[in-house]
Amino acid sequence: MYAFDFEKPTTVAEAVAALADDEAQPLSGGQTLIPTLKQRLAMPSKLVSLTGIAEMQGVCTNDAGQLCIGGATPHAVVAAEAASKYPALSALASNIGDPAVRNRGTIGGSVANNDPAACYPSAVLASGATVVTNNREIAADDYFQGLFSTALEEGEIITEVRFPVPQAANYQKFVQPASRFALVGVFVAKFADGVRVAVTGASNDGVFRWTEAEKALSANFSPDALNGLSVSADGMIGDLHGTPEYRAHLIAVMTKRAVAAAS
Amino acid sequence: MKDHFTMDSPQPRLLDETKQGVIGTPMDRPDGPRKVSGTADYTADHAPDGMAHGVLVRATIARGRITGMDRDTVLGIDGVIDVITDPRMIRNPAQGMAGSAPVQTGDEVHYHGQPIALVVAETFEAARDAAQRLTVHYHAEAAAVSPETTPDTETDDPVTAGDFDSSWSAAEVQIDRAYTTPSQAAAAMEPHAAIADWQGDHVTLRSALQMVRFNKAELADTLGIDPSKVRILAPFVGGGFGSKLGLGPEAAAAAIAAQKLGRPVRVVMTRQTVFDTVLRRSETAQRVRLGATKDGRITAISHDDRVSNIDGEGFAEPVSQASQFLYGADGLSFTQTVARIAATPAGSVRAPGEAVGMLAFEAAIDELADALGMDPLELRLKNLPEKHPIDGRPYSARRLADCLTEGAARFGWADRWQAGTRREGDWLIGIGMASAARSNMLVKSSARVRLTGDQAIVETDMTDIGTGTYAILAQITAEMLGLPAANVTVRLGDSDLPGASGSGGSFGANSAGSAVFLAARKLRAEIAERLGCDAEGLTLQNGQARGDNREAALTELVSEEILAEATIQKGKTAKSHFSSGFGAHFAEVAVNEWTGEIRVRRMLGVMSMGRILNEKTARSQALGGMIWGIGAALTEEMQSDPRDGHIVTRDLANYHVPAHADVPGDMQVVFLEERDDWANPIQTKGIGELGISGAGAAVINAISHATSKRAYDYPVLPDRMVALLEG
Amino acid sequence: MSPAINFELRRRTFIAGTAVAAVTVGMSRKAAAQTAAPVGAESTTVFLTVNGEGRELTVDNRTTLLDALREHLQLTGTKKGCDHGQCGACTCTVNGTRVNSCLSLAVMHDGDEVETIEGIGAPDAMDPMQTAFVENDGFQCGYCTPGQIQSARAVLDEIRAGIPSHVTDDLTAEITITDAEIRERMSGNICRCGAYANILAAITQVAEDQA
Repeated sequence: MYAFDFEKPTTVAEAVAALADDEAQPLSGGQTLIPTLKQRLAMPSKLVSLTGIAEMQGVCTNDAGQLCIGGATPHAVVAAEAASKYPALSALASNIGDPAVRNRGTIGGSVANNDPAACYPSAVLASGATVVTNNREIAADDYFQGLFSTALEEGEIITEVRFPVPQAANYQKFVQPASRFALVGVFVAKFADGVRVAVTGASNDGVFRWTEAEKALSANFSPDALNGLSVSADGMIGDLHGTPEYRAHLIAVMTKRAVAAAS
Repeated sequence: MKDHFTMDSPQPRLLDETKQGVIGTPMDRPDGPRKVSGTADYTADHAPDGMAHGVLVRATIARGRITGMDRDTVLGIDGVIDVITDPRMIRNPAQGMAGSAPVQTGDEVHYHGQPIALVVAETFEAARDAAQRLTVHYHAEAAAVSPETTPDTETDDPVTAGDFDSSWSAAEVQIDRAYTTPSQAAAAMEPHAAIADWQGDHVTLRSALQMVRFNKAELADTLGIDPSKVRILAPFVGGGFGSKLGLGPEAAAAAIAAQKLGRPVRVVMTRQTVFDTVLRRSETAQRVRLGATKDGRITAISHDDRVSNIDGEGFAEPVSQASQFLYGADGLSFTQTVARIAATPAGSVRAPGEAVGMLAFEAAIDELADALGMDPLELRLKNLPEKHPIDGRPYSARRLADCLTEGAARFGWADRWQAGTRREGDWLIGIGMASAARSNMLVKSSARVRLTGDQAIVETDMTDIGTGTYAILAQITAEMLGLPAANVTVRLGDSDLPGASGSGGSFGANSAGSAVFLAARKLRAEIAERLGCDAEGLTLQNGQARGDNREAALTELVSEEILAEATIQKGKTAKSHFSSGFGAHFAEVAVNEWTGEIRVRRMLGVMSMGRILNEKTARSQALGGMIWGIGAALTEEMQSDPRDGHIVTRDLANYHVPAHADVPGDMQVVFLEERDDWANPIQTKGIGELGISGAGAAVINAISHATSKRAYDYPVLPDRMVALLEG
Repeated sequence: MSPAINFELRRRTFIAGTAVAAVTVGMSRKAAAQTAAPVGAESTTVFLTVNGEGRELTVDNRTTLLDALREHLQLTGTKKGCDHGQCGACTCTVNGTRVNSCLSLAVMHDGDEVETIEGIGAPDAMDPMQTAFVENDGFQCGYCTPGQIQSARAVLDEIRAGIPSHVTDDLTAEITITDAEIRERMSGNICRCGAYANILAAITQVAEDQA
């Protein structure tokens, strides 16, 4: 770990000011960033903790009926508080990492990091959620830009994520058992105007929408609608825990399971 | 009083005659309250005054020479004290029971990840920062890092009995299969750690070590000092599984640094360093050939293997160890090849040999049963030999047949269905079984027992690495002296105490336990004399001595301390008889036909392992071993970079040791009553490793039963399972 | 057993291994540049309430909560098993919830309440969960045990608080304490000795006693 300064502001405005320094980096729950620092794969001059900002905490419903989750809200809080409002999102949150990680890790941290095997990006993308930052709102389809890449600018903070609540939804995750990341995770969300399917864990380009499945499911929201559909292994992650072919295979399996569970 | 005993003949079963009634009971561990309250002191929990922190710097090339280090770039960092290199630093941990220094490389690099320097600083944070910053210059050399392609191999003369070739070619039914298992890590929860502190020319080393008597000699030899100037302390060790048998590089570095700096130095390996530097279990390539008559008599057995190690290490995973004595045949042949590679050295990991050899061998036996159309249980029962198939020694005590039949009855084996025919939703269900075997040993051990009134103290440098030594030595002493176990204090892990076997090879309880037994037996003789009766007629119970119609309290008879020390070593019985633990493992699995996920739903181990000293700790050991079997069959795999041999799965997020959710709620262990009179005077056999030996094979065979597909490359990860199901 | 190593990191470590090589392949531009940059240990004074007692300490900003407890406060019951949030040995309780103390910096916890194993019970005054672990032999080497006990107590609290887990069927109903719930919720704490069955028995015993 390289040496760094540390600040813990109590408002978003203070945090934004603190992040204006060169090489300053926001720190949320730290469940990914701290091991990254230990491995010296990040080298901030200053860490700006976001966990002391009250306005970034909590789960509520806005006038449009969207579920609004503060950027610094831990997974365990989402699991408990979204249970009745958006059960699929609650279920996703309740299966991230392990309980100790869920008590510290936050939705903002996960979405900002955009790990290709993280769970939350699939929910954000499949729900067509809005990523709210200190200075703008970003549609999910514009937000995710590949492996660990997002539309966030330097010093920009995710203050809130707003989820439209679908008519039906489900998340199915095949766990890499050692890290508890998704080997493949599929989030299916059915809205009045169609079905969205987002896949995490599988692609070298990070979370993506499986448009072929969306089209089929929008016409017929049943597992049978997926018969004959498959994903190419090209561009899928191949590593110690699974081949590209296996991940491609799992996408179809997990999508069917998600649709069956949601319908 | 001193006793020097050689195990030349069976001894009376005294522990069956004594009256205290504590031996064998499921007594709670006396060290338990300290462990659950965080007050058991493991090495890194100590911080002597003035202590500095050391972090190892490791090589980033596979082979070559260090041409320089930019020390100045890190010596200016706040808190950094020194960058230490020394020709006495060691390349890797000593092999078990080495008793001498491991290879000392000076400025040579023999594998990627080898410790090459120690950065010492006032704080851990500064030492870690500097160790990572230190720039090292190398002259790199070409190195073979893959056992498949290295030109440097050594093949031993085969171990044989009868004429394998003719038996094989004449066999009516033949199975000839190749198997692979990957390197595995012990991954004890406590990372390897050491604190060295010099007083004049004496060094005290606290370190996470399993074999203090040997480790003392290893450190002395490493430093070039007399062993009398070395003291080693290891009262609590956070798991070992073989990985802490020998003195490690962190201990050598701490001792060298502390000597140079004149202050205590602590070195704790990071988890990544543990993976890179601590001895791994070798990967294996195995070939099993089995020949049989049509009616199921095995006529030919061959189990050949290729393992690997780095130059200079004598250890080779004894893959076919159990295959050599489980079943009989007309012709048997076992050949081992060792591939020399420039990679993390290999050594003992829990049940070296059986842990991976039996995965393949017992799967092949299962496949032979299939080919014969026989029940695999029946095939095993039909082929148990009269005596050791290679050297002809009689078995000392072997209830393998009883374990197989008792296990079958308890598990419901008779209800076994045709392979590949049972499903529950997407899950294919199967059951499997395998024999268990792990050879048993006695290693020279000494112990001292002191008795004052009704309070006893046991002293030996034996260790408790989680095995239950504190409990069983208290129980042996309490039983022999007729005391409540709470009246016995056990002092372990100090090289100033009488030297024991240490914990390894499942021989610790047999060896150290026998020494304690013999010392207590000496005390019994003294008590009998004081009471005025024959030692044979003496009864000791609850602090009272009785015999020849006399009775007295120990507090009266032993008002001042009496002390006895005993040493045991193996003798004629080790040559006249073959001793091994035996058992049978059963497993039920569910295989998901779409994802290839494999869940173990229940497991049963039935074992005969001599006298059980503590039913509770013995059961825990057996359960732990069975869980290692699950890991070997399903999850554990070390992988390395084919270019430089460096380990890629070097943390617990990439090397998956079974977690709570991987382990079935229904895990049963049954011990069959047994006494091994030829093993040692307390009639025990090793426990710690029998649980793993064969357990993974039961899981593997259950997978075959569930799916009608056979896997030959382990572990059976989900993607491999799906490929098999689709194939 | 937590998300710690992402794919990008894996690839980098695959190439660079330990980050000390003169061969700087795979090291980021920033990391390489920093080698020559001036260094200094920034430190911060934090106030923690540990096991009910107020403690003020000045720590290097890089000091984890785990190292602060062990090295600064001499509370060595909390163990370091991997330092990457993958094993659970360092589990302790912060403001009433369990965390991996190796995945937190001490400076992040100014004003927080921390409970370590030493605050739960002592050898001669054990908490019911500690007693149950001893009686059921819920450990062997004992190294992971303080973390296991922290998690074990938290499991029962979390279930009572209605926090769902992966195996919870009905997210809105009261959660029942089942073997599956316990095993799933304990899966962040590795026990290499394999005491899982006995740990399950210990937790079940306490749950039944408290029912």
